[in-house]
Amino acid sequence: MDPAYFVELFINGALTGLMYSLAALGIVLIYKSAGVPNLAQGAMIMLSGYLVVLFTSGAGLPLYLSIPLAAAAMFGFGLLAERLLLRRMVGQPIIMIVMLTLGLEIFLRGLVPGVLGAAPQSLDIGIGLAPIIVHGIFINRAYLVGGGVAVVMIAAALLFFRTHLGTRLRAVSDSHVSSWSVGISVERAIGISWGLAGMSALAAGTLWGSVQGVDWTLSALLFPALAVVILGGLDSVWGVLAGGLAVGILGSVVPGFVDPLVGGSTRDVVTSLIILLTILMRPYGMFGREDIERV
Amino acid sequence: MKGQATMKGLATALLGSLAAAALAFAGGASAADKEPIKFLLAQDFTAVYTFVTNEYNQGQQDYIKLVNANGGIDGHPVELIVRDTGNEPQRGIEAYNRAVQDGAVLVDFLSTPVSRAMVSRVLDDKVTMITALHGRGDASDGQTFPYVFPMMATYWSQAAVLAKYMEDEMGGLKGKKIAHVFIDSPFGREPLKILKALADKKGFDVKAFPYPSPGNEQSATWTDVRRYNPDYVTIWGAGGGQPVSIRTAIRNGISPEKIFSVVWLAETDVRQVGAERAKGVKRFEATATGTGTPIMQDLVDKVIEPGNGSGDRKNVGTTYYNIGVATMAASVEAARKGLDEFGAPLTGTKLKQGFEMLKDFDATGLMPPITITAKDHQGGGYGRVSEWNGKAWEPQTDWYHAYQDVVWDEIRSNAAQYEGN
Amino acid sequence: MFYRLSGVYHTSYATERALWPVPSDRWQVGIVLALAIAAPFVLPSLYLTSYVLPWIVWSAAALSLTLLMGIAGQLHFGFAAVMAIGAYTSIHLTRAGLPFELALLGAGLAAASIGCVFGAAALRVKGLYLVIATLAMQYLVDWFIINVPAISGGAQATLQTPDVSLLLVPLGSDTANYYAALLWTVLVTVLVLNIKRTSFGRALVAIRDKDYAAAVIGVDIFRYKLLAFFTSSFLGGVTGAFLAFAYYEAVTPEQFSFDVSIQLVAMVLVGGLGSVIGAYLGAAFVLLLPIVLTHVVASLAESGHLPVSSSLMAHIPLMAYGALIIGFLLYEPLGLAKIHDNVRKYFLVWPFRHTQS
Repeated sequence: MDPAYFVELFINGALTGLMYSLAALGIVLIYKSAGVPNLAQGAMIMLSGYLVVLFTSGAGLPLYLSIPLAAAAMFGFGLLAERLLLRRMVGQPIIMIVMLTLGLEIFLRGLVPGVLGAAPQSLDIGIGLAPIIVHGIFINRAYLVGGGVAVVMIAAALLFFRTHLGTRLRAVSDSHVSSWSVGISVERAIGISWGLAGMSALAAGTLWGSVQGVDWTLSALLFPALAVVILGGLDSVWGVLAGGLAVGILGSVVPGFVDPLVGGSTRDVVTSLIILLTILMRPYGMFGREDIERV
Repeated sequence: MKGQATMKGLATALLGSLAAAALAFAGGASAADKEPIKFLLAQDFTAVYTFVTNEYNQGQQDYIKLVNANGGIDGHPVELIVRDTGNEPQRGIEAYNRAVQDGAVLVDFLSTPVSRAMVSRVLDDKVTMITALHGRGDASDGQTFPYVFPMMATYWSQAAVLAKYMEDEMGGLKGKKIAHVFIDSPFGREPLKILKALADKKGFDVKAFPYPSPGNEQSATWTDVRRYNPDYVTIWGAGGGQPVSIRTAIRNGISPEKIFSVVWLAETDVRQVGAERAKGVKRFEATATGTGTPIMQDLVDKVIEPGNGSGDRKNVGTTYYNIGVATMAASVEAARKGLDEFGAPLTGTKLKQGFEMLKDFDATGLMPPITITAKDHQGGGYGRVSEWNGKAWEPQTDWYHAYQDVVWDEIRSNAAQYEGN
Repeated sequence: MFYRLSGVYHTSYATERALWPVPSDRWQVGIVLALAIAAPFVLPSLYLTSYVLPWIVWSAAALSLTLLMGIAGQLHFGFAAVMAIGAYTSIHLTRAGLPFELALLGAGLAAASIGCVFGAAALRVKGLYLVIATLAMQYLVDWFIINVPAISGGAQATLQTPDVSLLLVPLGSDTANYYAALLWTVLVTVLVLNIKRTSFGRALVAIRDKDYAAAVIGVDIFRYKLLAFFTSSFLGGVTGAFLAFAYYEAVTPEQFSFDVSIQLVAMVLVGGLGSVIGAYLGAAFVLLLPIVLTHVVASLAESGHLPVSSSLMAHIPLMAYGALIIGFLLYEPLGLAKIHDNVRKYFLVWPFRHTQS
């Protein structure tokens, strides 16, 4: 395999991986503060894509108005989901919570395409199609923009956790009881983290929607997002960055070698193997924190 | 006593109403002497096929409304049973059983997994199943699959038609390289056998480039394609993956002029890429688009204009809508022939024989003239190539079929495997 | 009044430890069993083949999964892959000429051995990580089935089930299929009902509650976790074979996809973890609800009461399914079995009001 091909696969894979990190960021934000895995994140990405399409095509608003409007709507949706659904499930076994989020995912997958249209709709955010060529290597322009946005959002998340509000959220992720005892409102913090996850879903939904069109398949982004989160660590924002790059690069380079031998596409196999090997060898991921279970 | 009187009064009232209902029923029965003909459309509205089902089903419903407005089939009204299967065979089985009990004579699943799972049942129950542009390609063999009608060009024939276009209109096939980019599923892989057989015969090279389902991320695949430097590219996907394919191809410097697509590329897909950017993309076409043909004009006048359409007005005349209309046009014609030849009531067997009597049927120009016989349920494998000119799909040739000898070799060898089961 | 608890006393350990010590319960079970056996002669063929038969087979699948998730406490989000292995193995074995009974055994063993590989993950992690690990394995198995034509049946990716006979009775007619499925489901039900009375079952329950505490008192976690996966995968594999032969009559990879795994978990959770009646109720809920809703919505639309497009109509069952799962988890996390239990307890002392346990 010649080096130029490898470099191209590497770079485009890294950018794709950053786009996956956008989808995964929401899961980490929620798990970090509430300890709850949000398997409805894919559906939230789909919902935000549909909202942006609704505001731009349906209401005719320009992009710089629809995106903030949709961001506000998604923040509100996150708050609502947490308040109505998750708060009752505090203390329940994890399987119930997982199933609840899956139930929410099924509900949204029925509601949103049913009401807003099941056929794929286009979302144009003005990224051109002309390739960017650097030393004979073609770089996908849309993924470059997406990768940039992902890096910006991850940096914003990292900075956010150093602010006053972010410190409170970190305290909540450490221990709910201790946070209550020093006067931090755990309920409000968790609600805010769900809202922030909604906004990160918006970023993912807009960028992925412009690449692939907005329909229910946006919710299938959950699977690679899970791989990113497992590899990086469920409660680590650095892990989202590292995991995303790893999943993207491996998912691009390995099939490049293996596909011609197998005759089929092996990218999903690579993603599954990443998940399996991480769980078997180092369950908490590269940067995750290990939970110690007490008798 | 008061209680008893009330009970008596109640009983009388009840008996009276029952008697009235019975009379009405009997009276009603004598008025209906032309029973409705029932078709089951149990399709996938919520899962994999969402990109096509809406418009396709809308076309089917609108055409049947037209038929009923024109007096039905020899006076028999046509009744459609529309259900969602979510691409799940178990829901297909349930909807099918219920409809067959109700007297349905034709079923259309528009789903490859569901229709494949139902093949043995329709053969046992003698119910006609149409699998237009999906399902088993080998069901074209009418002797092994007497009750399954692909009715239009199967994927094998589509690939053959595209190859012939490349040979005749684009400067020949000898020594050229074709990249077949497809979604990694049995559907995407189907034309490979035909392309490889033709490659041996005609002296060109074909290479397979699968991308993982659902096709929202194809950059690695197209990097590979670019390095192969093909002369022509065939894209074989469906739904959201198709515009992604074209966009990623353009991003990799492959000109749209070189891209040939399977039938599943519609106006919405190229608009997603950008109507101007996708200029020059070609695709296989099984039906004409737009509302120019007499049958579509009739439909617009009698169903759409009075406001009886089954869905969004914008969808009338689009590719998938017209395919739906064509499937129902052929089915209604087959039903008419079956009734004329064998008389009421219409059964699955009579409908099957009606299909096999279709000769040069072209729905007033909406589709190529198809001739279905007891041996050939495909109708000849006709189609044509059309090109996107920025505003609409412009047909580049007349209706033709190609390399049917190679296609039928494939059909026969696959059908033999079914026999062996 | 309905339950006649007075007069029910025990004079031996055997009767005290009976599954249904109260005669009314025994009568209920007897009546249900009699109805089940009489069903082909009483029900119209549509209801038998489209509703009761799939309900029975999926109850067997839910029972196998509740054995693993409810009794052993091991979460498994890839059970459809296990059933797929059983279905495909049984078809290939019968095509190779083996009699159906041996093919079922082979299918169960194949599913069990690969299920043990899934189980190896359980030895390492639990909870959410086990969920995700089994999910990833489901994708892997799906990929293998689709991409190895020898398994999936060539380019058409559909395998027709050959004609077979079970215990000298040929399968093919509705009645024969139904009785075969019923036989298997009754066997699985009896097994799961009795499992907690065996030492194996008690060990599983100990592991579910706190596995290292169980290790401390001498239960071999390694062995019992693997055994739990082995048993439940064996049962699941044979159920998959029955699903293929008695109901689908042709297998395609989509019949055992990730969505089906989620449906199975929903059946077990909505029914109630670890409960036998819950498996039946959950299977009925998850399986029949979308179908019933589709018909209700369709008839409402046809009669003009619900002026919605076909597309929205098709999505309403999906919305209702998701909403009902959420509703159950929020308001009755112990599932339909708990509701059944509440009703039973109400009638236990009716017309008085105070329950006894």
